[in-house]
Amino acid sequence: MINLYLFIPEIFILSLILITLCFGLFNKDRAISLNTLGFFLLCILLLNYGKDFYSSTKLPLNTINLFVLSKIILSIGTIVFILLLKRPLKNENLYRYEYVLFILFAILGSFVLISSNNFLTAFIGLELQSLSLYLMAAFNTKNLSSNEAGIKYFSLGALSSGFLLFGISMIYYDTGSFAIQSLDNFTAISEIGLSLVLISLFFKVSAAPFHIWTPDVYEGSPTISTLFFATLPKFASLIFLFRVYQEINISDIKSLNYIFQMVCAISLLVGVYGAITQKVIKRLLAFSSINHIGFLLLGIMSYQFMSEGTLFFYLIIYLITTFGIFAVLLNLRTVDGEFTKISQLNGLRFTSNSKSISMLVFFFSLAGIPPFAGFFAKFFILSASINDGFIFLSIIAVLSSVIAAFYYLTIIKNMFFNKSEIELLDDNNKIGKVIFVSSGLIITLFFIYPDPLINLVDNLFK
Amino acid sequence: MSFPILSLLILTPIIGALTLSLSSSKQLKNKTIFLSGLWITTGEFLLSLLLPIFYDKSKNGYQFTEFHTWFDKFDINYYVGVDGVSIPLILLTTFLVPICLLCSLNSIQNRAKEFVIYFLLLESFIIGVFVSVDLVIFYVFFEAVLIPMFLIIGIWGGENRLYATFKFFLYTLAGSVLMLLAIIYIISKVKSGNIELISDFTFDQQIELILFLCFFASFAVKVPMFPFHTWLPDAHVQAPTSGSVILAGVLLKLGAYGFIRLSLPFFEYASIYFQPMIFALSCVAIVYTSIVALRQLDMKKMIAYSSVAHMGFVTIGIFTLTQDGINGAYFQMISHGVVSAALFLIVGVVYERHHTRIISDYSGVTNVMPKYSFFFMIFMLSSVGLPGTSGFVGEFLVIMSTISVSVYLTFFTAVGVILGASYMLLLYKNINFGDLKSDIKQLADLTNIEIFYFSCLAFLTMLLGIYPKLLFEMINKSISLSII
Repeated sequence: MINLYLFIPEIFILSLILITLCFGLFNKDRAISLNTLGFFLLCILLLNYGKDFYSSTKLPLNTINLFVLSKIILSIGTIVFILLLKRPLKNENLYRYEYVLFILFAILGSFVLISSNNFLTAFIGLELQSLSLYLMAAFNTKNLSSNEAGIKYFSLGALSSGFLLFGISMIYYDTGSFAIQSLDNFTAISEIGLSLVLISLFFKVSAAPFHIWTPDVYEGSPTISTLFFATLPKFASLIFLFRVYQEINISDIKSLNYIFQMVCAISLLVGVYGAITQKVIKRLLAFSSINHIGFLLLGIMSYQFMSEGTLFFYLIIYLITTFGIFAVLLNLRTVDGEFTKISQLNGLRFTSNSKSISMLVFFFSLAGIPPFAGFFAKFFILSASINDGFIFLSIIAVLSSVIAAFYYLTIIKNMFFNKSEIELLDDNNKIGKVIFVSSGLIITLFFIYPDPLINLVDNLFK
Repeated sequence: MSFPILSLLILTPIIGALTLSLSSSKQLKNKTIFLSGLWITTGEFLLSLLLPIFYDKSKNGYQFTEFHTWFDKFDINYYVGVDGVSIPLILLTTFLVPICLLCSLNSIQNRAKEFVIYFLLLESFIIGVFVSVDLVIFYVFFEAVLIPMFLIIGIWGGENRLYATFKFFLYTLAGSVLMLLAIIYIISKVKSGNIELISDFTFDQQIELILFLCFFASFAVKVPMFPFHTWLPDAHVQAPTSGSVILAGVLLKLGAYGFIRLSLPFFEYASIYFQPMIFALSCVAIVYTSIVALRQLDMKKMIAYSSVAHMGFVTIGIFTLTQDGINGAYFQMISHGVVSAALFLIVGVVYERHHTRIISDYSGVTNVMPKYSFFFMIFMLSSVGLPGTSGFVGEFLVIMSTISVSVYLTFFTAVGVILGASYMLLLYKNINFGDLKSDIKQLADLTNIEIFYFSCLAFLTMLLGIYPKLLFEMINKSISLSII
């Protein structure tokens, strides 16, 4: 007997998909706005009854809380995303309801991925998510670079899925089970299998040296899709990576632990090294996200000290900041199309107060300079890692954040010090404006008064 | 719960900045904006005057303390308080900021509102550094100072401002992230960020050395000490006059303050262990940068290098680890804060009129600007260390305290004083005396506003020089506690 109770959030999304499919044929505007409402309901549902869905399982309370919290965050992110997407899609003549379907499928995949306890289920979730992402990358079919991004993403993603399957089958060969669980005595085959699984997950979260697709896909895809890649699916994959790390106790397996530390260090360095010379803002953000993944991997490794709290604090702040930055970027257009280069930001200070000041807040927050919440995000990760004894990695992390400060400052320099060369058109997208202004405020307020966020995370993990 | 004066000191400029930023800039004239900024900062100055009045000099420890939990889970608290070491620096800050605004009244024409806002934010962050008794908020304010300073140099600076402001920001950040790691390590060991508790804690000797070096990296860049000083001339030359004033007047003191407040009490063993290294670096700083200053063609650069030399006295004084030495170093800090700020203003006055800072472009200024030359002389002599001015007391105490450590040290510091006199006198002679050049003739003498702030600064210099007890009364007790 399958316990359907466990799947209520997923079933809810599935029904939303069906409704959108039918309804979208007649009125795409309504179908899309219906989803906002749907996810809002889902949020409330998860907030109130989230823990009951999983109470029939024998999972520890911490894991259940992890499911609920990540699903709530995903739903909120989806609401914001759906609210934001209308204007940018219309600008490119891409406003079709199918786009929302892809998002829904991707989120459904993320939901499955987060709460899977079995490698095969995880694979299904991951594939569902990734396939929708490939489509979103190539959604602008008339644009060559968008097609290129889609195909690149697809071929490399398929390769990494192959790794994942191969790894899973090796584990199955060794243990006779698909369950994600800690094994008493690991044989070499399981270790290799697990390392393949990890490689595939590193690919999904774009940790270096498995990051090659990131800058190209970020650059080629429509900006609104880039925003999606950079936030929600990455968040879900990272949570799954965290669960794998915890459930299998990777910190006890020397070789895998070594891989983890190497990937963390390489991501920190490659991220900053790649970003310094970038001229296109989306490529720069791609490399900077690799650097942040390095920080997050550090947080995953040092979970023993402060458990999930630090990781979630960092993730939430990072999500809010990324949403804010992209909301600003989506609001800007040049006369001859989408805005791409960093130098096109020149003189933004003189044209728009709210945009330039929000960007200032976001980039200083990403650089980890107080008084913005990004500082505490980094501070907590670093204190966790120092307490767990990763001193060398922490030194790499802080030094990389100094280099990172350089390119964030370059962007701020362009906005505040330089004179504008080309005219930037303001999209005057009210929703976008609300999103970036409120993100900026949240980033500042969380620094001064972080209790709500900390309590939220705390209560869920007690 | 008593009157929360320290929080008020931090918040007043921030609230002022917020109010200003919400007002529509199109309706406001530059003058109105500057005037409102002046009102806020003057109010702040008057507010800060309450501190020395109500401060109880006979008590140990921090006063006017306020304690609020910030992060319950991580034991990070908003804990502020002042003692004798911080009060004079707070006063110096609140005293210099209105002067900065006054001197930019004419020179800053574009984006005046932003300028005032950044200065207000800067002021509140700097005060935050001086009042914090918790390591985390100390670090937060210490870092936050960078943002407004970065923008001030970057927006209103000279031609090569981008290079200078990036160098300033990244240099300082690179130093302070190491301090951040050390702070995190200390907090994980002591389980508290409270400065008083950490002072009582003894670390492993090896670890203490590493921790000391991490703090040293941050403070040495800020002071700046010899191999880390290269950002300073660039930043000074490119910054607008007001930026230079606040940079030389207060920001450089953050490093020295960090040494007195954190390094000495935390790391007693390491302070003694690294004493020779710091003496060596400071001696090089004093002699080498003085010689470099002698050969400068740009006035601002010359004074910037002289700052490095003067701060060398401060670090020597601090690390003699004697009461006299630290007293002298502290006095030198305050005196340098006033005098170098005044000297940068002096440069700013002629730069505003003649638009060049090259020394050889000026000669015979005395003939057309007698009042200017008069004030210039006072500050020049104070910088040289003439008895009766504030510069003398600090240098004298530092040199005196070095005798107990090493005579060589005394020799080098004394050489530094002589070199200091030679380049300052040379600068004064070249600018003020000599033939009156034709293009100098049109220069107008000081305006009333300029006379006003120069007399304030001159008065303070003389007062401290003639009656240094005023300052020593305040700091003696607190400093004696920080010595081992």
